[in-house]
Amino acid sequence: MSDKGQFVDLTRAKQHTGVWLVKVPKYLSQQWAKAPGRGEVGKLKIGKAQGKTAVSFSLNEELTVVQCSGEKVSSVRSPREHPFTMQTVGGQTLAVFTETSDKLALEGMVVQRAECRPAVSESYMKLKKLQIEESTKPLRFSQKLEKAITTNYKPVSNHSHNVEYEKRKKEEGKRARADKQKVLEMLFSAFEKHQYYNIRDLVDITKQPVIYLKEILREIGVYNSRGPHKSTWELKPEYRHYEEGQEDEEEKIE
Amino acid sequence: MTSLGSSSSSTTEYVVRVPKNTSKKYNIMAFNAGDKVSCSTWTQARMERDMSNRRIYGEEETQEGAAGSEFGKKQREEARRKKYGIVTKEFKVEDQPWILKVNGKAGRRFKGLKKGGVTENASYYIFTQCADGAFEAFPVHSWYNFTPQAKHRTLTAEEAEEEWGRRNKVVNHFSIMLQRRLRGQERGEEDEEEGEKGGKKKKKGGRGGDLRIHDLEDDLEMSSDESDGSNGDDDEAKSKAKKDKGPKGKGKKKKKKGSDLEGFEDSDDGDFEGLEVDYMSDESSSEEEEPEKTKPNKGEDVPKGIDEMSDSEEESEEENKNEEDGKEEEEEEDGKKTPVQVEKKKKKDSSGESDSSEDSDIEGEAASALFMKKRTPPKRGGGRGSAGSSRTGSRPGTPSIDNAATSNTLRAAANKLEQGKRQTTVPSSETPAAKRLKMEPSPQSSSGNGTPQPASGKSTPSSSDVLLTEDAVRRYLIRKPMTTKDLLKKFQTKRTGLSSEQTVNVLAQILKRLNPERKNINDKMHFYLTE
Repeated sequence: MSDKGQFVDLTRAKQHTGVWLVKVPKYLSQQWAKAPGRGEVGKLKIGKAQGKTAVSFSLNEELTVVQCSGEKVSSVRSPREHPFTMQTVGGQTLAVFTETSDKLALEGMVVQRAECRPAVSESYMKLKKLQIEESTKPLRFSQKLEKAITTNYKPVSNHSHNVEYEKRKKEEGKRARADKQKVLEMLFSAFEKHQYYNIRDLVDITKQPVIYLKEILREIGVYNSRGPHKSTWELKPEYRHYEEGQEDEEEKIE
Repeated sequence: MTSLGSSSSSTTEYVVRVPKNTSKKYNIMAFNAGDKVSCSTWTQARMERDMSNRRIYGEEETQEGAAGSEFGKKQREEARRKKYGIVTKEFKVEDQPWILKVNGKAGRRFKGLKKGGVTENASYYIFTQCADGAFEAFPVHSWYNFTPQAKHRTLTAEEAEEEWGRRNKVVNHFSIMLQRRLRGQERGEEDEEEGEKGGKKKKKGGRGGDLRIHDLEDDLEMSSDESDGSNGDDDEAKSKAKKDKGPKGKGKKKKKKGSDLEGFEDSDDGDFEGLEVDYMSDESSSEEEEPEKTKPNKGEDVPKGIDEMSDSEEESEEENKNEEDGKEEEEEEDGKKTPVQVEKKKKKDSSGESDSSEDSDIEGEAASALFMKKRTPPKRGGGRGSAGSSRTGSRPGTPSIDNAATSNTLRAAANKLEQGKRQTTVPSSETPAAKRLKMEPSPQSSSGNGTPQPASGKSTPSSSDVLLTEDAVRRYLIRKPMTTKDLLKKFQTKRTGLSSEQTVNVLAQILKRLNPERKNINDKMHFYLTE
């Protein structure tokens, strides 16, 4: 039982590396995703002021451009300063593990939790306004058309689909009665695969006219008019041999 | 990294990087603080996805082809589902819980369930400090809450519901799991020979804690108070067992509270607590034992037409066996003082075990019985009573013995009707009568029951060619050495007019008085006298 599962790489956990878990606003993470090059996104300032630790993050200049949907170029910029609110990890023991396509590894324990908050400023308010506008737009909307569409529903003498169908039918021609033995063989091989068949399906499989097929079926099969497999045909019990081989079926008919 | 110094504060700046490579997915593993999980203590950890939900979410794959399948069933099912708009959730491996095993097989197990909604409105990042002092931020992909999994056995839902219903009554909670385990054992071992299991079980009877409705199988496994004076319980239990198990008799020396037995009258737990079997005095014991005297003994004497229940057959089978057994039993019991032992013996005898095993047991015990008999004063009344009562899977509360042939029939019928019901109040007239009968052949003053019961029971065997007297026994023993079995054969119940119980008791008394010599012939203990 304990042999299943991949080993979790505990090397980094052994180093007792502590990490921070930081909650970051969505827009900020979007900006970070746009970071070029090595991925430098900004600077983290950790200061001690009068005994209190103040942590703050400043976003790089180039990343403050906010992409917004629509055509207009945004004049809104995301704020740059983001103070962190530090929290304790008290009620939970948090660990970080990574998953690659082939490996699991434990990276470390969380020693500090923080929330990244934007410093409230004009730019932030504008940003928020933009966001709200976007989110209130409905996903579906009605659009007025100038011209009526006339390219569908044209009357046709015979639909192309229909034409094809009729051609196909003609090619096939009427179903001819094949040799009884052959039909029986076909039926038996079909019943080898499944136990219950609809008459329509059997007609398709054997390509025989319905009446003829029914006669043959009456000989070797039985019709279920009720029960779980309603209105299906199955072989008579003496012809059935579902566990063993199917040779017995052949024998039986002879 | 630049340091900006200022008057009263110092700040250090670190570069924050968000690496671009996304091959590694970072996840949070959250443990409850109360579980006291410390990753530093982990020497080895294994983790895998818990795929047990796959068959629920994935469609149940019915057998393809061959029997039971229809042609085109799948397509039809799909079309049907679409028509009704049934949407079945996909099985996503990503969302499946994790199973974490720490420190190998003996270590802890955790199950990690994915927490939803983590990345919807805000993103979590893991900030780690690199060697160069810069911070690297990795986005958290998903959050799993890990909870420890219990390694100890737990109750199933049904059992838990049962126990919940009894929560006010059960005091001893340890017994709950104990009984459950033993129940499991019992089912695994069908014909196990008793006993010591009874002794091994450490049960502190919870009050009312054993009040349960059980199936028969359960009854036998339930351990009940070992302490005891409730011979009554024991006997009833045995009789019930015998009756219903017949030859399969488990012969467990477990006592059951009457309330555990199906079909029995409800009786409270405390009903039998006061019952004391006092082997010192015949009086009390007789009262105790009598109720339990088995009717089956009677049944033998009586035309079986009354009740063709299998009971009677069983009884007769056991009768024969028990006659022999009873003898030794008596003698043994005379010596035995602990009720427990007595019951064990009784159970043994009364179970529908094979004769051979019984015999071998009995023979040996007969010897010890005789030895013990010497040591202890002859207080046989109680012992005998219990012996007799238990011998044939004593039916509870059935007035067992009656001498007059006519009243035999009636009584047999009545008793059979009452069988299965635990009766503590038994027509007391019967019991002293029975007692009386046993006493009669042996004018033993010490065992004389003071209970005056002239009417019912003077045992004058109506038509007996053979009287079970000391002289008769002496004659036999002088002539040649005999085993107790042989002796019993000589005094057949039909001819002496006594029930087998009585026969046994009386015979035991006689033997005690005679104190014959013993010899082991063919591994069997024979008695003989030399005059």
